[in-house]
Amino acid sequence: MPTETRRADISDGTLRRLMASAVLAMAAWFALRHWLPPAWREPGSPELYLTGVAGALLLLVPIAFALAKRSGRSRAPLAWFNAHVLCSSLGAVLIVIHSGGFLRRAPALLLLAIVALAALGVWARLHGSRRMAATFASKQPTFALPDAGTREQLRQLIAQKRALLRDLDPAANEGTFSVTLSHILRRPGLAFAYQKLARAEAELLGTRQAVGAAQSGWRPLHMAIAWTFVFGVLVHVVTVTFFAGYVAGGGTITWWHLAAW
Amino acid sequence: MTGDAMRLALMIDLERCTGCKSCEAACKQEHRLGPGEFRNKVIWSSGTSEPALAFLTLACQHCERPACLRACPVNPKAIVKDPVSGVVSVDEDRCTGCGECVIACPYSAMGYDAEGHHAVKCDLCSERRAHGQTTACASVCPTKAISFGAREDLLLRAESEGRSQRDNDQFLLGPATIYLERLEASTRDFRRPAFPDAPAAKSVFRSARPAFPYRELRADASADRVEPGGCNICFNCCSTKYHFRGKELVRITGNDEDPLLEGRVCPKSQLMLQLYHSEHRLLYPQKRVGERGEGRFERIGWDQALDEIAAKLERLRETHGAEALALFIGTRTGILEYLGYSRLFAQLWGTPNHEGTDPFCASGKNVAYLLTQGSIGSGNSYTREDIGSAGMYLYLGDNQAETRPVYFGMVNDWRIRNRAKMVVVDPRLTVTASKADRWLAIRPGTDMALALAMCHHILDKRLHDERFCAEWIVGFGEWRDFLFARGYTPDWAGPVTGIAAAEIRRLAAEVAGADGCVIFASRGINQHTNGTQTNRALMFLAAITGNWGRRGGAFFNMTAGAPIAPDAPKERRPALRRPRVRRSPTGWTEAMTKGKPYPIRALIACNNPMAQWPGQEAARAAFKALDLLVHIELFANETSAYADYLLPAATGIEKGEIGRANDDRRIVWIDKMIEPPGEAKADGWIWVELARRLGFGDVLKEEYKDTGVFWDEVCIGNELMRGVTQKRLHSVPWRWVRQPVMSESAPEIDTLYLEGTTAPGAPRGHRFPTGSGKLEFWTEAMEGKFQTVGLSALPEFYSEREQLADLPYIELLDADADEGVISPFCRPDTSSARGRIVAASADGPGARLRALGYDTELVTGRPPAAHFHSMTHYLWQAQEMWPDLYCQIHPEKAAQMGIADGGRVRIETAHGAIEAVAWIHAGIRASAVFVPIGWGERQPFHPWRSVNFLTDKTQRDPVSDQTNLKVLLCRVSRAAA
Repeated sequence: MPTETRRADISDGTLRRLMASAVLAMAAWFALRHWLPPAWREPGSPELYLTGVAGALLLLVPIAFALAKRSGRSRAPLAWFNAHVLCSSLGAVLIVIHSGGFLRRAPALLLLAIVALAALGVWARLHGSRRMAATFASKQPTFALPDAGTREQLRQLIAQKRALLRDLDPAANEGTFSVTLSHILRRPGLAFAYQKLARAEAELLGTRQAVGAAQSGWRPLHMAIAWTFVFGVLVHVVTVTFFAGYVAGGGTITWWHLAAW
Repeated sequence: MTGDAMRLALMIDLERCTGCKSCEAACKQEHRLGPGEFRNKVIWSSGTSEPALAFLTLACQHCERPACLRACPVNPKAIVKDPVSGVVSVDEDRCTGCGECVIACPYSAMGYDAEGHHAVKCDLCSERRAHGQTTACASVCPTKAISFGAREDLLLRAESEGRSQRDNDQFLLGPATIYLERLEASTRDFRRPAFPDAPAAKSVFRSARPAFPYRELRADASADRVEPGGCNICFNCCSTKYHFRGKELVRITGNDEDPLLEGRVCPKSQLMLQLYHSEHRLLYPQKRVGERGEGRFERIGWDQALDEIAAKLERLRETHGAEALALFIGTRTGILEYLGYSRLFAQLWGTPNHEGTDPFCASGKNVAYLLTQGSIGSGNSYTREDIGSAGMYLYLGDNQAETRPVYFGMVNDWRIRNRAKMVVVDPRLTVTASKADRWLAIRPGTDMALALAMCHHILDKRLHDERFCAEWIVGFGEWRDFLFARGYTPDWAGPVTGIAAAEIRRLAAEVAGADGCVIFASRGINQHTNGTQTNRALMFLAAITGNWGRRGGAFFNMTAGAPIAPDAPKERRPALRRPRVRRSPTGWTEAMTKGKPYPIRALIACNNPMAQWPGQEAARAAFKALDLLVHIELFANETSAYADYLLPAATGIEKGEIGRANDDRRIVWIDKMIEPPGEAKADGWIWVELARRLGFGDVLKEEYKDTGVFWDEVCIGNELMRGVTQKRLHSVPWRWVRQPVMSESAPEIDTLYLEGTTAPGAPRGHRFPTGSGKLEFWTEAMEGKFQTVGLSALPEFYSEREQLADLPYIELLDADADEGVISPFCRPDTSSARGRIVAASADGPGARLRALGYDTELVTGRPPAAHFHSMTHYLWQAQEMWPDLYCQIHPEKAAQMGIADGGRVRIETAHGAIEAVAWIHAGIRASAVFVPIGWGERQPFHPWRSVNFLTDKTQRDPVSDQTNLKVLLCRVSRAAA
């Protein structure tokens, strides 16, 4: 029997303090930037360029978290989760500083995504978790008499899943199986087909609908914005690295780049 | 794949479950779960179109195909399924708190810790299993509705008992949990969660971090020693075990060594764990600095408080006399306080105005028992051979499943095993009624008519036990002639009670024909102006059918009462100058406000009269008029706000105590195990200290601060209790002895008054402890007593003044300010109003109220099992289970008034108005609403005005001074937003 230990969780209070610190740091930057040397006001200056790079590197940690917890290799997913919170908060501050206060340019959309990600994350932690707790014993189907039609549909879906699983992962038990990153990488077609069946089963169970859009939707939305953000960062990096001339708009290119198209 | 033979599961018997939520309390204790955090939960569902009440204990189903596990995005999973036992559990250290498992579980049986941000779930108590124990929920279940074991074994057991399994696999997940269907399963689904458990009303209970040991690590809350004791909250008197880690109490469980209760306890015993570290406890004496009712106090020391109180009492005695001090000792304080310390104090001081809560609850049945049997309480016991052997159980105005949950669990078990009949007569489909073969929705206040009509039918058809009637009843002939002369037939009773005459005949025949029928009655019978006579009529019913002085046949009206009545030495008792103002404390208010019939200027109150006394407006005006109000209490409540001095009290294991009087005559001893918090003191300590200051220290001695010494030296001085010594109580690990035992070595008697025996304490050959040795229905002396208060000893039917039908009612000829007459029914001498039965008429008080729109019967009573009076309203989990004051209302009435389930309603009587939350429930008379007691407007979590703002202190029984609390006319409307 493992000995119970205090879980290394970021408490609501710590999260509030972390968020307040990040917001204060951003506000302070905005308030003080006019008194800073010009290099600290130009996103392309070496100082702010490096700040941006550092911010982007920190923001890679949440990506690493998402991959690590699905990879089957993480021994401490919770530590990765905590790292994703801390690094994304600090990374967001650095990215704001990197922006130099230019909020009307296209890259500022990335800042908007960061704000949305942070807001969703904080909402989920402070309020969404209360809803999660209140979900216990709340779903109407618990009281329902079995419906023969739905049961037949479920029976067919389960049979299809089992058939598919024989090719996707012959050693797996359908009752406890779910698609992992490695399945997606090795047999993407089968993995996505299986995922589709799993989603169909969940829909028949009606579990997502039962908890409402906010509770069931915040996490898919969080991930969608995160991947959009990652895509946006990639576009930004490619642009400033290969289309430095376009970004400079005829001005001096002060940052490291590979082409000045 | 799980090996089926080893697959573990819970088996939940829906026929046995009474929805008490003891399993929830046990689970939170075991796993130290905080507010809003669940591994199991009991969901109540009500009928919306037809009367129904059902309970579903929900916990993880440990599915073959766990949806939660498959939804977990972590790899390897944070949720695992043991391949052998099939147990699905969460690895909380791997869980990142995303909540996908919570969303995925279609049973909504996955919990979540909102403070720690991770999933929590039932793992069938892995730590307990590792030590060979059953699950926490199964270990306490008062009804044995929850079993734990190998699934195949459980299924075999169910099959051998002829029970069918409910199909709960609508999602094809292969749940392991077995639900045993009701014996008569409904095929239609017309229920939905009762509003407190409905998703729409669900919100996470928020509070500060709960006090120790909740949310602590297992290692910090694991016991290193266990002390046996008991629960002193309700009338079930469960034996318990107190688990300590060092000096800290870490858990309260049932006492599994108890051969009778076998470890069963209801939630209250367990929730007391939240009492001992409660942030709401009073910690030091306080003195009022603001206006009365304002609630402003300053901290003072014990010496100052007691010195000042003693000085004020001395001045009061000089000015107004000793009787100007009244003592009200509520149930919270315990039996030793009420029957011991405060009784002696009252005698030494010289006031007759000393009372507990009996006149609000039980005085009618006490008088009836004394008149009929010569002692209070049934002589039967909760054993398989006695109550367990009955062929029929008839409940009238007794919701035993919620008021004595463990006893009901035993009765229900015997009912199921023996296929015994159960009928419940109650205006509401209570939890008790939900288990019965039939529920008869009687008009409140007319049970006497039902009893008389059943007796009439039995005697008319000669279904009675003729030999018993001839040999063991005094006054049988006089009463039978009276009954026939009055024509109390089933046809007469039908329209009075609202129960069809054919049904009354059927019920009467069933009672008479059963091989042992146990008739249970309780507050629904007692709390009426006809409470004494209705109890007597029911006793007559039991007696003429031979259900008295036999195993498996009895009349029970809780409780048996502990025969403790110590007296101060005669020479130390000042002669009482005046009779007691009234037996009911609510009859003292004119003495407080108007000084009539003589002044009461000071009150020492233990408990919460400002929520508890009927007629709150009068009570509050009276308390404002006092010169001195001392309040001894655990928590600051409504009464505290009016007090001059607020003294912090101790309870249960903080002082040493016996459990309450209970049906089964068991005296349960509770040792003092911990010190009270802060400067709080045991009630006994306070009385002894006050007595010393007033010169009574030679009787209320210093050593009596030790309740064990007080017990042995003072409380068991009579022959019925002489054997219940501390030594004997401590000689058994369950710490109880069933009285009477006349010596330390005398055997306990399971069933008293059997034929051929002599009643304990009675002259040889007296089977019953009456003067005649027989049950007494009527004697000339008894007639004289009744006539003193304007009634006859032959029970004549009357009901309440506020009724929807025109029925005879009692009119009191003397107000509380009048001297009245000296009651022949109580000691010491007590003034009583005389009564007069007023015949039914179309222009009576009921008709006048109906003309004003008061068109609904208000029934008050006990809330579900987790609550007891106001005490449990300071415990966070009891509030989580049952947060708001509710008003059960029939769907038809709700629809008429535009009232929605969970909406706020206003209930108004001619005496006051309150608001509550609507609980639409088809299991109540369409013409009635039910509002429970216990809530108060100064409670910390969910404050509501007490239901006693609706009650009327002037509607009382002239025999017992019991107040009518069970039927008042009211009007119900949707409350303004």
